[in-house]
Amino acid sequence: MTKPFEPLKLEGLDIEPLICARCGFCTFVCPAYLDTLWDSQSPRGKLFQLAKLIKSKKPIPADFAARIFQCTLCGACQEICQTDIPLLRFWQLVRQEIGNLEEWPEIVNYIDTALQETNNIMEMDQEDRMLWTDMVDDLVEGKTGIKAEVAYFAGCNISFKGTLAHMGENTVKVMHAAGVDFTILGEEEYCCGNPYFVAGGFDKGIELAKHNLRKMKELGVKTVVFNCPGCHRSFAEEYPHLLGKEATEGLEFLTFSEFALKLINEGKIKFTKNYPHVVAWHDPCELGRHQNIYNPAREVLNAIPGLQVREMKHNRNKARCCGGGGLLKGVNPMMSVRISGKRIDEATKTGAEFMASECPSCTMSLNDGIEHIESDMKFKDLSQIVVEALGL
Amino acid sequence: MIQKKHYQKLADIVGEEFFSSEEYMTQLYSHDISALPGIVNDIINPQAEAVAQPTTTEIVSNLLKYCKEHNIKVVPRGHGTSGYGGALPTKGGLVVDMTRLNGIFDIDKGSMTIEVGAGIIWGRLLEYLEDEGLSVATYPSSAPSCTVGGWCAAGGCGIGSTKYGGIREQVVEMEVVLPDGEIINTIEKMSDVFKDGSPEPFFKGDDAFYYKSEVSEETNDESTSLFIDSNGALGIITKVTLKVIPLRKIKPMTLSFPNKEQTIGAMQAILNYTKPFYMHFKTDQFFGMLKELGQAPNTTNEWLVLCALEGTNAENNNDAKEIAEIISMYHGTVESDEIAHHEWDERFYPMRVKRLGPSVAPSEVYVPLNRMVNFIEHCNKHFKGEKMAMEGAVNHQNEVAVLTWFLDDERRRIPFMFGWYRSLDVINIGLKHGGRAYSIGMWNVMHSRTFYGKENLTKMGNLKRRTDPKNYLNSHKVFPGPLHLSTRMGFLMMFGAALAVPIAIMFAWWLVPSLIGGYAHWVVVNDLASFLLWALVGVGMGFIAQEFANIIPISVMLSMGTPFLRLGRKIFH
Repeated sequence: MTKPFEPLKLEGLDIEPLICARCGFCTFVCPAYLDTLWDSQSPRGKLFQLAKLIKSKKPIPADFAARIFQCTLCGACQEICQTDIPLLRFWQLVRQEIGNLEEWPEIVNYIDTALQETNNIMEMDQEDRMLWTDMVDDLVEGKTGIKAEVAYFAGCNISFKGTLAHMGENTVKVMHAAGVDFTILGEEEYCCGNPYFVAGGFDKGIELAKHNLRKMKELGVKTVVFNCPGCHRSFAEEYPHLLGKEATEGLEFLTFSEFALKLINEGKIKFTKNYPHVVAWHDPCELGRHQNIYNPAREVLNAIPGLQVREMKHNRNKARCCGGGGLLKGVNPMMSVRISGKRIDEATKTGAEFMASECPSCTMSLNDGIEHIESDMKFKDLSQIVVEALGL
Repeated sequence: MIQKKHYQKLADIVGEEFFSSEEYMTQLYSHDISALPGIVNDIINPQAEAVAQPTTTEIVSNLLKYCKEHNIKVVPRGHGTSGYGGALPTKGGLVVDMTRLNGIFDIDKGSMTIEVGAGIIWGRLLEYLEDEGLSVATYPSSAPSCTVGGWCAAGGCGIGSTKYGGIREQVVEMEVVLPDGEIINTIEKMSDVFKDGSPEPFFKGDDAFYYKSEVSEETNDESTSLFIDSNGALGIITKVTLKVIPLRKIKPMTLSFPNKEQTIGAMQAILNYTKPFYMHFKTDQFFGMLKELGQAPNTTNEWLVLCALEGTNAENNNDAKEIAEIISMYHGTVESDEIAHHEWDERFYPMRVKRLGPSVAPSEVYVPLNRMVNFIEHCNKHFKGEKMAMEGAVNHQNEVAVLTWFLDDERRRIPFMFGWYRSLDVINIGLKHGGRAYSIGMWNVMHSRTFYGKENLTKMGNLKRRTDPKNYLNSHKVFPGPLHLSTRMGFLMMFGAALAVPIAIMFAWWLVPSLIGGYAHWVVVNDLASFLLWALVGVGMGFIAQEFANIIPISVMLSMGTPFLRLGRKIFH
């Protein structure tokens, strides 16, 4: 049993609730607060309660623990914070504290069990990891576990969810078209550990991180390409944090947009067809606010002839969350889908034909949002747009 | 105290999902932006017992009627972003959180007005207006979280006030629910609303609760201005109609100066030339704190002035050129566009320095611009040894709304408590230099008379007496209210007196034996029994003192207590 609030104390963040200015700016952007309009859901309210608990050295009560998980970890509160509280890390550490108290929500315990038993969040057999390649069998034939400088890391969602498989297929098509020699890990691809990191179960993610990095190094990989910003952030930020910077030395981690832009700049792919569509771009939180990656996707879209990008009212570092982050989708699906619906409304106001992003979690949430508010808006992943524009 | 039987009734009025009496929730609605010393909990009772979030004006009306009938204390609240205690409960009661009344009802591009719910956040309103090619002329520096109704109730100036004035100058009319539950439009004459035979109020509410009130003929002025700055003591603002302006280009300039004389001199010279949209300064001490945080811009000098111009590109460029020339006479430097935009973006972030605290003791006061140099000198001398950041924004009357931040640490309870004097002293110093209180709330209630003016305060008092004789609606705000000592404080006073009385007697026998022996020889402590007897007398005296303290207004307590706090701070700092 650890001491109360040890995760926060170890990183010197236990003073942050006192530093909170109570200005409430976070309530202007917090999706959970805006969904309920109760201060108990706002970062300001949660910090106020935590300040009292930390001062009195009392454990986080179960109902408060549940509210801590009613948060998308979108990081908008950190972005607008008057006193620069590193809230993203803060909430992760509070979740770690909740884990230490064995008060994780049921969905997190389910994922924990699944990961321990199967190394993927779907609790499916690892042999099914290659389900996503069904439609591109010919392109991935002989690519599993071979030595190559470029690896594609599909992640659990794309690997196992049929509705997201197209993102992997598209990426492979683009790699093939660009003549990139690549490898995939197949059964040896384990979950990146992001669900653990989001839930504050850092220690539990260590073995997954070690395994994935070891496999990459065994195959001589230098560049890893991701469609999933959560996986990307795990490799680029959480792994070095957990295992030390040297653990990822010599490895480059690229999002799909960064990879596609690189191919464009190297002349390996070229858009020649006219693609006359108007697109509203949604910045995934885990790429944008979490990792400050905003431009590559826009540059790729702007390189497509005929395509017009419309910015939503809240874009880049001010982009609103899709509602699917921070495990909210599992913890409170109704709140999640309401938040998604608001984002769809915002996209609709731009007059765009469809909205686009590059994140499997955003894809799921925003499609759910479209259904929830019965909108005519359509959603496309960036990889889909690139493939269509290339005529692949 | 809200009796148990009332909770369900209140929840029924407002709707179950918009009502909470759970402690974790009520404590979130029992504070504002300021961290208060622990003793405040012992002299008032700032713990709300329930929170209601009404969704319509009619529900507000019904809530107030019910609360008035059952004498349940009510505290209206915007988003709790002020620091003057205006939204603090003082005797428990019900907090009415207005943030759900956040609709945009009407936008009139002909008369350039917009009607909004009082609970709408300024930031949201600005976003909405931007899409319409419009803006409000003035918005608070807390725009991302402050409600329109909250700012109307608290008053003050903000971004744009240098040119367009404060919130008072922006409000066309308001819909207000009076303490008796009646809904009025403030643009109508008071007499029209209240006089017998006048047009009926457009919503009477539940007849069972309907309360007829009478107001004397004296209060026949347009009442909008009386409700602005009134801190919700006269009624709850539910809708506000604001002036809007076309959205124009803003060109921010950051100017830096070597010292206060040059800074203030240059500001006066600029104002003689033009009225910028917004003019604001930061002292070198503020700059130093920002530097410590790595947030200070890389400027030539450490006294900074943000001067935001509003107009066409040509107008702004022309003004910028003139201003550059003007400030050259004050050894000023026009900083780069990048710095200017950085400072413009920072207009919402005056509290960055709190990270150095981790607590701050804030204060705000209006001081005439031409007295600013003396005021700053006075403050520097008075608060020598204190870490103080100061900034100020100029309003349309060439007054500076000076905001000071004293770094502190609320974990050091005793020095933090005594440090409260600084917030009060800044205002006192400001007044000595011809200034006035910034907002009244609860903590500045001793300045009500000078702030509102005798005539207006009388009118406000008349209205309060007629519609809320028991002072159930936002008591202690605008009008002084008595302390509400906690049980703990009561026991402490009685225990203290129980010890003090026999000890004082023993001390008197030692000091002036002939006097006490000659005139009151029976007052003696010479064994345990007599000690206990006089201790019992002490308990009684403590009880009387405690009861007496409960009738002392907070304003008197603050005025009397300031010198003691000042002394205590010197000892414990």
